[in-house]
Amino acid sequence: MAVESATATQLQRKPLFSMSRRKLALRIFATSVMVVYTIVTIFPFYALFVRSFVATKDASELHLWIPEAREVPMEAEVGNLSVFYQLDLRDLKRALGIPEDEYLMARMTLGEVAEQYNIPEQEIRDFFKGFYTYNGWMTLLREELQGTTFWAALLRTVLITGFSLVLLTVLSIFTGYGLAGLRRRDQMAVYNLYLLQMVIPVMLIILPQYQLFQYIYRLVPDYAQQGSFVRGALQLLALILINIKGTALTTMIFVAAIGTIPKDLEESAMLDGASRLQYVRYILLPLLKVPIVSMIVIQLPLFYNQFLEPYVYLDPSNSTLLPFIQSTSGQFSTNFQVIYAGVFASLVPLIIIYLLFRRFFVEGVMAGAIKG
Amino acid sequence: MGLAPSTTLEQPKPAKEPRHKMSKLERRRMWGDWAFIAPQLLIFVFLTIVPLVIAVPILFTDKSQFNDPSINQVGWSNFTALFTDPSVQADYFPAFRRTIVFVALNYTTVYIFGLGLALLMYEVGFRGGFFTVVYLPLMISGLAVGYIAVMMFAQETGTGNFVLQELGIVKEPLNIYSAAGTTIILPLMVGWRYAGYNMAIFLSGLLSIPEETIESSVVDGANYFQRLFRIYFPQMWPSFILATTMCLIGSFAVFDELIAMGATYVNPNAKFLSILFFTYGFQIERLAMGMTLAVETFFPLVLLGVALQRLQRRVQL
Repeated sequence: MAVESATATQLQRKPLFSMSRRKLALRIFATSVMVVYTIVTIFPFYALFVRSFVATKDASELHLWIPEAREVPMEAEVGNLSVFYQLDLRDLKRALGIPEDEYLMARMTLGEVAEQYNIPEQEIRDFFKGFYTYNGWMTLLREELQGTTFWAALLRTVLITGFSLVLLTVLSIFTGYGLAGLRRRDQMAVYNLYLLQMVIPVMLIILPQYQLFQYIYRLVPDYAQQGSFVRGALQLLALILINIKGTALTTMIFVAAIGTIPKDLEESAMLDGASRLQYVRYILLPLLKVPIVSMIVIQLPLFYNQFLEPYVYLDPSNSTLLPFIQSTSGQFSTNFQVIYAGVFASLVPLIIIYLLFRRFFVEGVMAGAIKG
Repeated sequence: MGLAPSTTLEQPKPAKEPRHKMSKLERRRMWGDWAFIAPQLLIFVFLTIVPLVIAVPILFTDKSQFNDPSINQVGWSNFTALFTDPSVQADYFPAFRRTIVFVALNYTTVYIFGLGLALLMYEVGFRGGFFTVVYLPLMISGLAVGYIAVMMFAQETGTGNFVLQELGIVKEPLNIYSAAGTTIILPLMVGWRYAGYNMAIFLSGLLSIPEETIESSVVDGANYFQRLFRIYFPQMWPSFILATTMCLIGSFAVFDELIAMGATYVNPNAKFLSILFFTYGFQIERLAMGMTLAVETFFPLVLLGVALQRLQRRVQL
């Protein structure tokens, strides 16, 4: 049973029958654990995808695939459709040729609408084709919620994530270079200060941190004005600053990586007349590909999936993706289909990136774990 | 919070620093280093250390919200409220109990998922494909994890419930909104989310064990459990300490999942300490009290964290 760890790589190439029974048992056990774990891990994503197409009223039974779209019955009341399924009555009127200023009573059924305005029932059926199935996605992608849309929120998330990653990389490399070697006491003190970040919970500092920003931002004239550009920009800036302030991990990664680069390299660059900044830019940077990848793959999901800080700092009309998704659940609390569509939509971009660059993730995380 | 002043002072003034006389070259070198250190350090100190400092005076007032116009000094009463004020006790102690139970269970999942999978990978050889799967849940947000928990285990509509019932694993559907449901399902979901992270920590610990020690134990006829407890674990201390630190800090700060599970409205069983501090600060206008409770809760935790970090560094050397 004992040798297989040492010879694991050779094992894979050996034919099955030459294995001892114990090794075979281990491999069968390991494979079955992996298969079960994989299924358990993938299933929630699949179920979430399916559920984003299942109307809440159909959710009390198991659906393993998108259910056949049921037709909206002619007995359905207009008011219920607009309360529970966010049916936009203006859309309905426009599509059916009912004048805009006509008032549809909430208790009016679709059948009565057809009768009153002399519209063939088929036309109403066509309008509602797939209504229950695509309701979640339509509502999510088309509705405006508290002054912003899904796409605007996604754009803000991408902007914040992008700026944060670039700035954090640059600043952390600077910090790592300034601290490299940890030879002096001042360097050690700064290093320890960054290590402290790891044990300070966000919840401890979020309240006073918010207060601090309020003290400062209050001095900016336009900040008090709801919806002004300055207010929105400052709020996003606060998030970026929080993201790039540096963590224990980023500091450890770069101090360790730059510490292993021979001193001679810097000295010879200096002899050739390079400034320290040029040394960092042209010599250090190309050598730091591995730690940079390592840092990015660890920070990217944290930035993209940030919730608490945007929830606290951003106005609802200026929100990023996750607070936006959360506000759908406040707004459409009876329509879980929209919420599930939103949650699924929020996962997709990062998961695609993850699957495309999975090699970097695996290597980066393992390298980061060894440093940490 | 007591840490804050001392650590800010630690920030050395380069001019005063040197014990031995520095050469001109060394001094230039140091100023150059500080030019590189300064930008990020300023942001870091401003956003991590300064908040801890400005919090201190607020703790002794009755400040109710961020723009409170009238603020009175109340001495130590915020600190003693935990022992004397029934309204605070009624909020705090149930939340404290839930949090502690969660931390304990979540710590168990670190080993079940993290260590278990790491050992599996180590014994059969590293599988990139499987690593990709295990690490996948880390790509999704805590909020999404919470909503997935609701989707899977809501009493009447949970997809996971239906599947478990079809397979005959459970008779009655689980209920994410019940006390038992939250207690059991949440740590499992959080453990599942961080499995890849913890696995990486333990796997790197395992990979750093010198091959010779393992081989010699094999030659001496140790069985697998002897090998685990006598050879692997004693050489993996840094991994254990790191995983413990991260789990402790992370589980006390769990927040997004709870919001998704309705902690601020429908589900009182998800009201953990983090939710309590948040609502005190941002929703029910007891800002100073919320900050004080946070300090009282986290101060011992930060000390513990620092101690663990020191221990880890000593073990690593």
